[in-house]
Amino acid sequence: MAAAGNKLHPACRVRSEKFGLLFYDLRGPRLLFAETGALLEPDFFSGNEPVDAFLGRLDLRDRNKIQGLLVKLREKGYLSEQ
Amino acid sequence: MSNRFVEMGLRSPVNLTWEMTQACNLKCRHCLSSSGTPAPDELTTAEALSLVDQIHASRVFQVNIGGGEPFMRPDFEEILAACHERGIMTCISTNGTLLNSELIARLAATRLVNIQVSIDGANRETCDAIRGTGTFDAAIKALKLLAPTTIATSMNTVLTAQNAGEIPALYDMSHSLGVSLRVSRFRPSGRGVDNWEELRPTPTQLLAFSAWLSESGDVRTGDSFFSLTTQERQGLGLNLCGAAKLTACVGPNGNVYPCAFLQSAPFKAGSLRESTFQEIWDSSEIFNSFRRLRIHSCEDCRRFDQCHGGCPAVAWHLKNEISGGDPECLERCVTTIAEQAKDAEAA
Repeated sequence: MAAAGNKLHPACRVRSEKFGLLFYDLRGPRLLFAETGALLEPDFFSGNEPVDAFLGRLDLRDRNKIQGLLVKLREKGYLSEQ
Repeated sequence: MSNRFVEMGLRSPVNLTWEMTQACNLKCRHCLSSSGTPAPDELTTAEALSLVDQIHASRVFQVNIGGGEPFMRPDFEEILAACHERGIMTCISTNGTLLNSELIARLAATRLVNIQVSIDGANRETCDAIRGTGTFDAAIKALKLLAPTTIATSMNTVLTAQNAGEIPALYDMSHSLGVSLRVSRFRPSGRGVDNWEELRPTPTQLLAFSAWLSESGDVRTGDSFFSLTTQERQGLGLNLCGAAKLTACVGPNGNVYPCAFLQSAPFKAGSLRESTFQEIWDSSEIFNSFRRLRIHSCEDCRRFDQCHGGCPAVAWHLKNEISGGDPECLERCVTTIAEQAKDAEAA
């Protein structure tokens, strides 16, 4: 499988919520609740900012949290393949 | 797990049920909204387009469109286009009678349309007895037009006493047509109130359907928040009523309700002619009461984690209260059957 960045799949949507981010996959439909707090804005998933640049600004704990989320999103097909 | 996040309160619904018109060319005996003639005060095109702007601003992901028959609205395609231009997914519930290949081709071009065609029996006689003469053939014709397209299509059946025995055959039919099957619960609202006693499935039928459903993984059910398979629902942990939490309903005249089965004055959360959708979602006392609703009388039940007290709409229509637990829940079916057996034995 090709690597994926941080660009949302065209069939997916994301919005901010109190707990973090709520992802929606039109193809299911499916929901994914991500408890990211204020760490991430939905715009992150426009793919405009390189993942490494964003992660570099985080401390280790938050970086691990976001990396874990990205892995989960890739596995579940929420991100576009590059 | 996901219930916890939902209980925290979402900024807007995940999906919105929009009963766009009361106009319908059929008069189905179980119709939840007694549709037929259009309501005199239905939203104008401008008002409907304003609602699309509002739900886009509120980041609602999907609109489930019903009625009435939505294709009866002359401006329906214009409203649909407005949704799609804003990236909003639409799911249209239709009786299929007004679909043709040209219309379907236009809908398929957007890639943001799902369609549910209603059919209430695997046999013509069963379906037509509930929905009207010719409805079975019309639905099959529509499904055959839809199946080869890119539009995700399902046949939607309301479970009744008359068709309960035909659900496995409907499932086979859906597979042979190349579409999915969605089975909705019959609730005593709208015209369904008048025909409740005749059409309601028996406890034995409900239990049999439940058992069959648990073995039929790809069948979807008509939850208030989503059309999910049993497996998907369990995976998400979304086993609660979604009214005012994950979903809401807009009626033909812009009145807003917790769900499509509670479109009556006691449950009116607001009017789009007086407030914005977001204002109603954020501030309605009706919505807040649903968010606080706990079915305490069901908390000791062994099935509580699976249903959280069931459907408040059914409780309202049958017992005139929303907090007393679902009178038609599976546990009560078991109890009812046992009591009937005991009575029969005593007699």
